[in-house]
Amino acid sequence: MGLRESLARYAVRSAHVLVAEAPGANWHTRVTVERHVLARGWRLASSPADADVLAVCGVPGTELAGALDLVWDQLPGPRSRVRVDGPDTAATALEQAERDLLDESAQRDDSRSRPTTPDMDHGGDGDGDMDHGDMDHGDMDHGDMDMAPGGIPLAGGGQDRDGLEMDVLHLRLGPVLPYWPAGLVLRCSLQGDVIVEAEAHVVDADPHAPHHGHAAGPIGNDDHDSAAIFAARRCDNAANLLALAGWEEAATRARSLRDRLVDGADAGVAAASVAELSRRVARSRLLRWSLRRVRPLSEADLEAHGLPSHLLGDPRDRLLAILDRARGALHGSVDTSAARREGVTPGVLPHLVTGLDLATARLVVASLDLEPLGTSQEPAHA
Amino acid sequence: MPDSTVTAISPVWALAGATALGLLVVLAAVLDGLLGARATGAAGSTGLRRPLAEATRLLRQRRRTTVAADRLLWRVGGAGLVVVALMMVTVVPLGEWTLLDLDVGVMWFNAMDVIVWALVWLTGWGANSANSLVGGYRFLAHGLGYELPLMFALVAPAVAASSLNVGDVAAAQNRVWFVAWMPVAFAVYCLGVVAFSVWGPFSPALGGDIAGGVRAELSGVDRLLFDGGRYALLAAGAAFAVPMFLGGGSGPLLPSEVWVVLKTASLLGVFVWLRRKLPAVRPDVFMELGWMVLLPAVLLQDLVVAVVVVWRG
Repeated sequence: MGLRESLARYAVRSAHVLVAEAPGANWHTRVTVERHVLARGWRLASSPADADVLAVCGVPGTELAGALDLVWDQLPGPRSRVRVDGPDTAATALEQAERDLLDESAQRDDSRSRPTTPDMDHGGDGDGDMDHGDMDHGDMDHGDMDMAPGGIPLAGGGQDRDGLEMDVLHLRLGPVLPYWPAGLVLRCSLQGDVIVEAEAHVVDADPHAPHHGHAAGPIGNDDHDSAAIFAARRCDNAANLLALAGWEEAATRARSLRDRLVDGADAGVAAASVAELSRRVARSRLLRWSLRRVRPLSEADLEAHGLPSHLLGDPRDRLLAILDRARGALHGSVDTSAARREGVTPGVLPHLVTGLDLATARLVVASLDLEPLGTSQEPAHA
Repeated sequence: MPDSTVTAISPVWALAGATALGLLVVLAAVLDGLLGARATGAAGSTGLRRPLAEATRLLRQRRRTTVAADRLLWRVGGAGLVVVALMMVTVVPLGEWTLLDLDVGVMWFNAMDVIVWALVWLTGWGANSANSLVGGYRFLAHGLGYELPLMFALVAPAVAASSLNVGDVAAAQNRVWFVAWMPVAFAVYCLGVVAFSVWGPFSPALGGDIAGGVRAELSGVDRLLFDGGRYALLAAGAAFAVPMFLGGGSGPLLPSEVWVVLKTASLLGVFVWLRRKLPAVRPDVFMELGWMVLLPAVLLQDLVVAVVVVWRG
């Protein structure tokens, strides 16, 4: 037993945590959880299959709770699910997760109670030929139910951008996805990996309450409109965009800047660091080459979609603008409360991502420098 | 056929070769852990033990499967990378010893690296998941861009040595290393190694934007094999560069075996270090770079090498 235990202890030292953030005022909680995770030598997971711990920041509404249950089912196990109600409880929640992971008997019971085959499997094992779902027989028109291997209906057909018949796949992006705005769900119709149609909404948004920046701004925020927090959020958004662009070093730097700002670093020093990061980003030719031509927005586009002026240009321009805004806020030259009100509403996202492939769509969404999308759920009364 | 410059040894030594490759993998993983810990500001000791803790974690984790997965092909793809890497190192001479003294060793390496195309794509395909499949196709898009330049990069040393035998290529560098007068071929070769290891700038196939792409659905031992396989490919690629470009076992004082290992480890270290330094190369636009810049450049390099060989010959 001793060996088993010490191996488990050793394994848990590098646990991976999937962080889910309920929309609303949980940004600070999520940031704190991420920091504790990294400080422990743990890592942030990229997908449910990669995760040992599911950390839910804030109180999920019914829709998000449903999505979280699906995610939870996909964790391979040993697994632990913790809820973090606020920044103060992040450390204790992760300690709880560690204890859960080490609790051999509870983990064994958990694994026994799980089905051995994935959920949608309807018994008939060995239907290995199901994969013709991706083949091109869109025009053969078979009834959909009897051709549903594993319970998944086959893809329907549709005209692709070259006017050819091609299968359409429906895929949801969000709400639990790394480097993605909290609570945002983008339902996409894909042909290949190109988004041909999309629809965006925020989970559990109360249709009667204004849920995006225009009317109310972030609701009941625990960290009001201080310039440092505004700048920290910009750095967080920049870190996400850099991570999606695959530039790990710069993303790490942006994230540590964010952390320093949350900790209340001196504004002048922080502004200098932001400027330095900005210079590094501007110098990278590979980044420039890689991000150019990805949904550039002209003045006319901005006007047509009612977007703020700092979104002009391609994602690289927008990345530099994000960092500029952070620096401006620290210098006091950007009116942060006004800047918060001119946010982007989820409604314009479909227009911006249609026609792009998944990778560039993710880059575009991250480059919009979104304010947290509001919600009716508040941790205050939890 | 001239007498071979290297001696083939008993296949039993394959075990030692595999162990050596394993040690290089651990070395690379430790270095990556240290660099990662330094970047995130975690204590250095967490970086040092990270690879081992990570491996233990994955061995303790359950394997999972997805709805209607193509299980056979999925597992073949995931486990295949390690096998391919082992096959690659069989033709790398360690000083004057080699496991497999093939007359077409260079082509053998090339054939192995093409198998990686199938393996990575199958791993993406098998899980029956949109994100994995997108990742698989991203790798193929990169593959289209890097494979031809890589092939022509391998041509340069072979032409200069007038042989496809890896030992002969290494022996042909007794005066001046090939890297010195075919730097373009060397650079393109290194890029190819990084690319077929799905590493650094060439990792959009495993991108965070598609939830880990090819390995989105892998867990437990399957994930360990896949990631271990990537490290092994990187190590095998670094090892193969030594006889091809870096003068094989030649070097002062130390025995040739030690030089091969030292050169391999150094190049491997550079590859690992490079990972965090560069942004990703988008698969949909890499063709432009691969075929418009790299391919002409490396063809020109081949021409220069051919002219030099004819002129000297």
